Amino acid sequence: MKVFFTLIFIVLTSSSYASEQAEQLFNQLKPSLYQIKLIDKASGEKSSIGSGFQISSDGIIATNYHVISSYALHPEKYRIEYLDSQGNKGNLSLQSVDVINDLALVKRQVDHDMQYFQLSENTPHKGEQLFSLGNPHDLGMIVVPGTYNGLKKESFNDRIHFTGSINSGMSGGPVVNKQAEVVGVNVATSGNSIGFLVPHDKLVNLYQAFLKTAPESIKAQMAEQLTDSQNKLMTAILNSPWQEKQLGKNGLIPIIDVPFIRCWGDSNADKADALILTAVANCSLDENTYLSSRFFTGSMEIEFRTMQAKDIGANKFYRLYQQQIARAGAGNRADKENVTEFQCHHDLVMPDNNAINNKAIFCTRAYKKFPDLYDVLYLSASIDKERQALVSHFTIAGISQSNALAFTRQFMEAVSWK
Amino acid sequence: MEVESMKIDNVEINEMPTTDTETVTGEIIIEEISRNHKLLHRHKLSQQKIHIGRDYHNDIILADPHVCPSHLSIELNDGQWKIIDNQTVNGSYIENIKEKKHAANEHIVQDGDVITLGKSQLRILFTDHAVEPTVAFSPFESFINLMRHPLAILLSVALFTLIAGEVFYLSTAKEVNFSQLLVPTIGMALGFALWPAGVALVSHLSKHDARVMAQLGVSFAFFNFMWLSDLFESIAAFNSAAGSLLPLVMVFISIALAFSLFWLNGYIGFHMTAKRRIVVAASITTLLFGGSYLVQYSNKPEFNPRPQYDATIMMPSFLLASSSNVDKFIEDSSKLFEKTNKAALKR
Repeated sequence: MKVFFTLIFIVLTSSSYASEQAEQLFNQLKPSLYQIKLIDKASGEKSSIGSGFQISSDGIIATNYHVISSYALHPEKYRIEYLDSQGNKGNLSLQSVDVINDLALVKRQVDHDMQYFQLSENTPHKGEQLFSLGNPHDLGMIVVPGTYNGLKKESFNDRIHFTGSINSGMSGGPVVNKQAEVVGVNVATSGNSIGFLVPHDKLVNLYQAFLKTAPESIKAQMAEQLTDSQNKLMTAILNSPWQEKQLGKNGLIPIIDVPFIRCWGDSNADKADALILTAVANCSLDENTYLSSRFFTGSMEIEFRTMQAKDIGANKFYRLYQQQIARAGAGNRADKENVTEFQCHHDLVMPDNNAINNKAIFCTRAYKKFPDLYDVLYLSASIDKERQALVSHFTIAGISQSNALAFTRQFMEAVSWK
Repeated sequence: MEVESMKIDNVEINEMPTTDTETVTGEIIIEEISRNHKLLHRHKLSQQKIHIGRDYHNDIILADPHVCPSHLSIELNDGQWKIIDNQTVNGSYIENIKEKKHAANEHIVQDGDVITLGKSQLRILFTDHAVEPTVAFSPFESFINLMRHPLAILLSVALFTLIAGEVFYLSTAKEVNFSQLLVPTIGMALGFALWPAGVALVSHLSKHDARVMAQLGVSFAFFNFMWLSDLFESIAAFNSAAGSLLPLVMVFISIALAFSLFWLNGYIGFHMTAKRRIVVAASITTLLFGGSYLVQYSNKPEFNPRPQYDATIMMPSFLLASSSNVDKFIEDSSKLFEKTNKAALKR
């Protein structure tokens, strides 16, 4: 009984202490917090909102790239506006972006040196209490206490896993520790108090690079970042071990042994009336670089499927098999403004080891605004066994021609019959 | 323009002498024709004066209520036939290929003239009127004769139904039993039988022989050829790489088959000139393929985010071509990047 009371007491005190601290922090930081609005010039109304925070005395404000993405792609259509804690409004100019880490720097006019957020020098430790600030759904600035839970696993680009409610509109807002130092930037949520933050060191890097040389063109800067990022990713993938793994009875498939590609499996072994026994392995890169609301890139999906006919002949098996491979689609969302239509090539292909004979299909579409970046899709279907099949398939978004071809070659040679 | 018409007149005169000598015998053919120039009755008369009208004194009696009881007469004078209109209520008019429609009174009749009286039409021909050359039996005649035999029809319909059943069976992803296949298969055979039946009906309605059996036999024979060409089309698509012309050739074969079917339908069901039959068959083919292309084209979105590729695969026994190696595939695929770059520049 005594223990129980003590526990309650501890909980009560700690939570009241937290809210007190949050209040104190909020009042201290309020002057450097902003709501960022994108105003459509023609209608004069806001088209998207987010949060931002000042990181220098001369008016540099950090926010998310996705908050100002429409401006970055169509500067003629929009203007960026801030709203501070006193209700003052003013225009912002876009200075620099980091599309991969979803960060952007904008600048306001300042007459005198202003108060600003300190960027932390250390990463927090697991379990440390943090405070996320932002303006959710245009409801006004709020502070949300939460917990640091380390970096998100299996992520190619680092993200902090933050346990606390982040809502839309808070994007671009800072997350601070008890010393009021910024340790991350609100970026995404997957619901149920699971939030994701961009680590503060990405912001430090972006700001340092900006101080050294400001980018001449935002679009060129984005193109360079996308190209560098896919180079880094593909170098890691092509130089990692590809482990041979058995799929179904006779299929051999590669599993790329890197932590940021995760695989899932399924089969229909439980369906007694299925005409074809199918086993599927899906692997995907858990990244999705936001470029605009209709254009994402950076994703990668790999799928393998083995099929074994049960009570049907080869002719029927191949009919049903064809239906399975007839409708492959791109792995990322993209629209007419940003990509061309796919162009495809198909042929019968047998790798030099003669271990499998495939019908292979390769499709690609080019990015209209970023040179030498493409979405590619590959699909190959075995055609050498009467009542068995092995399908291998991948899609990669935002990849250069040489990387796409190098990956395709390695992939084609890694799939075979046992 | 003046000069040209003069020339035509001269030519006529040069041709005239033969007709002049012939018409002296006083023989003339008068055809009652329908509004679209189909023959209704034909009269061959050899007398100096012919009376035409609604009452029963006439040589040619017309039942048309707009024709007067003694409407007109045609008289032979100095080797020339002349029309005399008896001041009729609705008048008589001449139509021929050389002149515009005009009143028929006092008109000198020429071979092929069409007289309109009331709502009826008469065509006047002289005995030396040139007839079309004899139409030889086409080589298709023996094919048609073979195919219209009841046994042949039974066999082709049975074959068609069997193939349809097989196709249904192959493309159903569930287990199916015989009776589940029966309904769609027979339905499909009946549906396809509508085409020859429809053609036969139209030829019957247009006063031709219906020839249902011939239409059925020939149509189902061709439907079976089309199944076969479908199979070849798949084999060609399966065995060739992108950019090969072979699948295109196969598409042309199926278009040619459709054209041949429509041509034969026309040949069996209707009397028309060879040229006209080709035009009709070609139009139906264009309507069919062009129409389905148009439907596809109009359904095509302005921008397609999905790749369009040929996914045809068949069981290994249909594999005839040898495979490329990975190097060749990578090299061919690399050409796509240049293509998409060009498309990207176009906007």
